[in-house]
Amino acid sequence: MSRTLQCIAIVVVAALALLPFVPGAVDAYYFSFLFFIFLYAIMAQSWNLVAGYGGQISLGSHAFFGLGAYTTAILWTGNYLWGSLYDKHPSIYYFDPVTMLLGGIVASLAAVIVGLPLLSKLHGDYFALGTLGFGEIVKVLFVNGGDFTGSAFGIVAPAGMFDTLRPHYWVALGLMVATALAIRALMRSRYGLALIAVRDDEMAASANGIDTLKVKVAAFAGSAFIAGVAGSLYTYYIFHVGPDSVFDLDWMLLPLMMTVVGGTGTLLGPILGALVMYAVFDLARIVVPDYHPVISGLTIILAMLFLPKGLMRSFAGRARTG
Amino acid sequence: MQPDETLLRLEAVQKRFGGLVVLNNVDIAVGPNELIGLIGPNGAGKSTLFNVITAIYAPTQGRVLFRGKDITGVAPHRISRLGIARTFQLVRTFLTMTAFENVMVGAVYGAGGRVKYATETANAALELVGLTAQGDMRTAHMTLSDRRMLEIARAVASDPALLLLDEPMAGLNPTEIQRMVDVIRRVRTERGLSILWVEHKVDAIMKVCSRVIVLDHGEKIADGTPREVTQNRKVIEAYLGEPAA
Repeated sequence: MSRTLQCIAIVVVAALALLPFVPGAVDAYYFSFLFFIFLYAIMAQSWNLVAGYGGQISLGSHAFFGLGAYTTAILWTGNYLWGSLYDKHPSIYYFDPVTMLLGGIVASLAAVIVGLPLLSKLHGDYFALGTLGFGEIVKVLFVNGGDFTGSAFGIVAPAGMFDTLRPHYWVALGLMVATALAIRALMRSRYGLALIAVRDDEMAASANGIDTLKVKVAAFAGSAFIAGVAGSLYTYYIFHVGPDSVFDLDWMLLPLMMTVVGGTGTLLGPILGALVMYAVFDLARIVVPDYHPVISGLTIILAMLFLPKGLMRSFAGRARTG
Repeated sequence: MQPDETLLRLEAVQKRFGGLVVLNNVDIAVGPNELIGLIGPNGAGKSTLFNVITAIYAPTQGRVLFRGKDITGVAPHRISRLGIARTFQLVRTFLTMTAFENVMVGAVYGAGGRVKYATETANAALELVGLTAQGDMRTAHMTLSDRRMLEIARAVASDPALLLLDEPMAGLNPTEIQRMVDVIRRVRTERGLSILWVEHKVDAIMKVCSRVIVLDHGEKIADGTPREVTQNRKVIEAYLGEPAA
């Protein structure tokens, strides 16, 4: 990333961080619009880590998102963490870092358990289908989880906590920035080198001393961790965690499209893609409510036709030649 | 009691794919700082032999010993860390990386495996094969001959004791072949490596190697100096067919 781009990024993040102080901003429509862009950008980064940098096309992001959301809801409503403290401080689970962290950890543990057999035996399309199957299995398990998971209805967390969208906005923005910085640091480390090596040529990577299975499982788990934390954040927004809402395929498909449009395997691509695609989806929903999936689909087709490498690479390429 | 100087030893290695015997009872010993040519007609089992040594295939029977230790069936990345590096017949470089990053993979994860000196190691390896100027070039934009050189640099950067070269001259023109011969010689003399070199360009092998092994239909039919090998009746028959009368 060039110095100018770094300066622009810092200014934009600072401006976004100060936005809630602007009178009226919190109640404006674009405030929740921005919150969702941050949330999708986090999910897009999660997918980009395993698929864009790691080359392992996962179609199971929604499973990890849902696992994070459910973990948060279950810990909260069952009061598994804070015991008697919960009575004194009824808001203790609301944006509790430990609860959110556990959402990510549960998701990444699931990724390790599933990733070890899938990634050692399946490659390419077959791995993708395996992760898709995993998502369906998890969903069925939660539908049939009895009182523990709330079955088909799901779990309702105490919505009385909610009085403003400000904390959601800041936490989402913070997580988006933290995710991008963490991935940036990761890709500059020896681990990032191994990840790209595995993506480019697995056989050559292992012939040069890289434990390819370990690298792939770690990337899958890291991606799941990010998705799990995002799911946890979503619980604080939606309060009702159900199999049809948090295990919805959209939580995998939209971040995937956003990353591809923005530029797979680039740091800012997922963020840019989330911004552009979410704006398109939302605008289509408002302007032509009956046809909005058509507009969204057309946008993706056009993007693939004219920007097959994604927004980031197309612009970077033009800047270099021109 | 014999102090084992042998670096690599294959003991009665057999590899079968179903009913097809690709390697049959092959014994090979590679000593320190040897440059050994491995030749044989198409389908003789040369690449399979490399894949057995680097554990991409497990042998059906027999053992592979490296520095006296049994490494049969050890994971491929462990083989690399023990000190066996290789190149591939169809070049396998990391195409989205720069040349320097490619070599860094060997330096960071190979047998040397120390991040601290990795940059120096990688630069020295690029210098050895004459690719210093192309360090920042994307591998996808490099020529075939440069990519073959890069593979050797990456292998050398992993600080191996044994280097396996799988047809490094395939697809190269005469000038590039001469450059490759020079590089292989330099790698051996400057790094003190042992090299096992599979090649179809038999004349190059005969000129450069002090010892040549010939495989045919999965069996070792000759093992000796280039002169001995070229006069071996079995070798002549393998390449030219049996005499008419």
